[in-house]
Amino acid sequence: MMPTWPAATPAAGVSPSNSYAATYSAAPAFTPVQVRQSFAQPYGNPAPSYSVTHNYASSQSSPTASTNYASASAVNAPPQEQPKKKIYWPESVRNYVQRSFIPANMEPSVTRAEMETKLKETITQATEKGVMYTLNWDTMPLPQQMILEERVRMAAFSRPPHPHGPATGNSSSPTSASKKRKSSDLTDAANLAAMPPWRSAQGVRLEDRVTFSKDKRPNVDEPADNTSKLNKFEKRQKRFNGGYTSAYRSPSPPPSDGPVVGTCQDLEKRYLRLTAAPKASQVRPPHILRQTLELLKKKWKKDQNYSYICDQFKSMRQDLTVQRVRDDFTVEVYEIHARIALEKGDLGEYNQCQTQLKALYKLGLKGKPNEFKAYRILYFVYTANRTELNNALADLTAAEKRDPAIKHALDVRSALALGNYHRFFQLYNETPNMGAYLMDMFVGRERLAALCNICKAYKPDVPLRFVTEELYFESDMEAAQFILDHNGQELLQEKEGTIMFLTGKAGQLFEGARAQAFSRVDIKGQI
Amino acid sequence: MEVGAPVYREFGEAWEDNDGYRLARTLSPDLTPTQLSNIYQSINPDAGNWRNSQEDNVKGAIKRGLQASSARVKGLTNDEIKGWTDVYYAYWTAAGSIASARTQGQSAGGQSLWTEAFEQWKKLVNALIQGYNNHGFEAWTIPCLYVAGKQLRLFAMLADDERNKNALENDSANAFQDDFDPEADKHQKLEDCARVLNRVFTICLNDRAPLEESRKWGIYYIINLLFKTYFKLNSPSLAKNVIRALSAGRGDMPDFYNFPKSQQVTFKYHEGVLHFLDENYAEAEKHLTEAWGICHKNATRNKELILTYLIPCHLITTHTLPSENLLKPYPRLQKLFLPLCKCIKKGELHAFDLALQEGEDEFVERRIYLTLERGRDIALRNLLRKVFIAGGFMPATEGEKPVRRTRIPVAEFAAAISLGSKERVDNDEVECLLANMIYKGLMKGYIAREQGKVVLSKSGAFPGTGV
Repeated sequence: MMPTWPAATPAAGVSPSNSYAATYSAAPAFTPVQVRQSFAQPYGNPAPSYSVTHNYASSQSSPTASTNYASASAVNAPPQEQPKKKIYWPESVRNYVQRSFIPANMEPSVTRAEMETKLKETITQATEKGVMYTLNWDTMPLPQQMILEERVRMAAFSRPPHPHGPATGNSSSPTSASKKRKSSDLTDAANLAAMPPWRSAQGVRLEDRVTFSKDKRPNVDEPADNTSKLNKFEKRQKRFNGGYTSAYRSPSPPPSDGPVVGTCQDLEKRYLRLTAAPKASQVRPPHILRQTLELLKKKWKKDQNYSYICDQFKSMRQDLTVQRVRDDFTVEVYEIHARIALEKGDLGEYNQCQTQLKALYKLGLKGKPNEFKAYRILYFVYTANRTELNNALADLTAAEKRDPAIKHALDVRSALALGNYHRFFQLYNETPNMGAYLMDMFVGRERLAALCNICKAYKPDVPLRFVTEELYFESDMEAAQFILDHNGQELLQEKEGTIMFLTGKAGQLFEGARAQAFSRVDIKGQI
Repeated sequence: MEVGAPVYREFGEAWEDNDGYRLARTLSPDLTPTQLSNIYQSINPDAGNWRNSQEDNVKGAIKRGLQASSARVKGLTNDEIKGWTDVYYAYWTAAGSIASARTQGQSAGGQSLWTEAFEQWKKLVNALIQGYNNHGFEAWTIPCLYVAGKQLRLFAMLADDERNKNALENDSANAFQDDFDPEADKHQKLEDCARVLNRVFTICLNDRAPLEESRKWGIYYIINLLFKTYFKLNSPSLAKNVIRALSAGRGDMPDFYNFPKSQQVTFKYHEGVLHFLDENYAEAEKHLTEAWGICHKNATRNKELILTYLIPCHLITTHTLPSENLLKPYPRLQKLFLPLCKCIKKGELHAFDLALQEGEDEFVERRIYLTLERGRDIALRNLLRKVFIAGGFMPATEGEKPVRRTRIPVAEFAAAISLGSKERVDNDEVECLLANMIYKGLMKGYIAREQGKVVLSKSGAFPGTGV
């Protein structure tokens, strides 16, 4: 288990670069898995301190919660005593609901989801006020009428809600330097398909795929000790910066009678695990959340502050959950959060999103089910979860199996199952979307497995270059470093100008490391 | 009015003999709808003291019936009678629901008749659990738990089916409910059933009475029900918890082999499959072989199920294939395994891939796909062996046994591998496959990369195959 780093005593040389993170404490937000170290980007940009967050809502009349995030006590207010028993809707209410969905009464500009939300809101309010049985439901305006009225009021009152469209980001020119798709350029997978596969020519190097600026990652050709020092530094940074502790699990308040309908107008909200039924004044309605998402996308691109982004996304997800909003927008929020979590190697958070996404796709909502189904397979390959892997296979339709991303993931699975490391590393090189972040998680252990194979099978030696190429190391240097890291210094020898790897003498050298690498993967929140 | 009398008579007689199975029959829902509704109508809830509620009236009637019929039985305490009254009251209510579900189940679609039957039956199971916990029910009566548990599972599945069929119609009503995962909703009642069965499991497991009169004798029947439920729910991991709880208390458990054979077979089968799913093939083989050994010779379906997992196990552990003779009585298994077996035997790599693809859906459904896939190694081994044999012998030296050619160019293996698919496989990939063979001990020798050759062992290049 990771040692927890008290945020108050950062290791020497690490300045608290981020006051936001500093307000959180102790345990790391996610279990650091073996990510390729070079991806761990030092969080250089000091993010704005949380208490002085720009008040995006100030332009709007927001009488409620004046960005006082510390008002946790309000959330923790004694729970409203709500009986858990099921409600029986009076006949008049049922008729009202039915009336709303009669085709003749439908309003084309109002979606079904909006109507359902509105209906819930109306009925919940009636229940809470105890007027369910006294209200004249027959003369009650239909939800679509209410929504239209509200829209008119809204337009006069404040900015219209952001149309929910594709991100504005740098989707126009996917540069050759960002081969591994960044979550911050939230481009469609289709755009990516058009991109040349990375390293189609041998000349393009692995580091070109890396999302972060080159100078931040250790130079592979530098001596070993230097590299490890850099790694340590980055690890420390990561621990420190990622060390926020919001409660981990999804909220589990006591079941209430109906979904909340939020009235909060603030764009940003800190995540707090609910211990009581949520208050409408602290929950943001969907149209505000859409603005929040736009804001967060911009911030992520600009600051890359994962602790902040993750926290904000969690609170967004919470607001959506408590309002029971399950529509295309919900999918978008989960997808973006999942991608960001992937990029940062936060598999615990990724897995939560993935589980929800699976359920959301089942509802037939739009999104990128194929992209995420492919991740799901890779994820189960990583966690070696056979039961889930089998379930994932059982879920696929014939059409889905032909989808490039899913097919790739399936090929990866089968290559590994058959021990075909040659094929595996070719596939590693051709990973679509952000799957490479997942594959990075297990490429190390697969290299060890392949090395074990090679040592047992080849006698007396192979050129080091062969290892480099078969296992897709970036350079002979990196391959050599990998061998050295596992105490293989005796096995490298120069012979007539080429460096040879003495496989015949390796014996059981890599077996221990291999067994260890394949032992249980521990991820918080893992299914 | 007196149609309930046979029930009471049976009750009394079962008690005289302490015959649990006979007692359990009085709680059977396997009656015709007419019989069931007769039971339901045998007591007029409105007869009796008008100041009491219907429930009290019915219970009063049942209690009188039970007392009358068991008057001669010694040792049946008032407390027990009270418990059994609750049980039969629940049975009486459930009988009404089941009868209407059986008669109207098909015609009056849209109504949740089976859900109602399930809920009522659940009350019966709970009344039994209460009886064992609070009213001192004796251990010989556990067959009642068998009947109750078995039926609970069946009603749960019927209720789930019924709801899923009507799911589309109920959609707008569901919008107000809290269910997030539509998948989870599919097995709502069965999950509920699993929870109830787990309580039954606990009251059997935790009985501290001496073994002769312990509810522990009911444990394997209930475990098997739980296994079936958990497998149906697609959560074998929960089944493992049961095994864990069982092995924790194994010390004071009756000997496994003293339980009925039928329970042993089912238990061993599930235990084997659980190990199988964990890739624990040696353990799996042990349990499955045991199940195979004690399975009744005419239980074709069960034997078929055992073989479904035992055959892939054997493929992994001993690299052996089932004989045609073995599969003769099982056409379904023949269809499942024979195409793959043929390809493995002949070393037809490409045909193997196609056959695996062909059966993929079925293999995945039975959770044997990932295991069978590994049969490709054996197919490859057999193919490489053919290459080796085709290489012939070295020129014989005087007076010695001829020796096979053991230095084989990688290109020859490459040609063999691409023979079936007609696709060129590059030499590096072929070497990778060969390295795997050597690493897994299926082939003895080494690759000399510089010469582009494989040097095979002179004695037993392919262990266990005679060359």
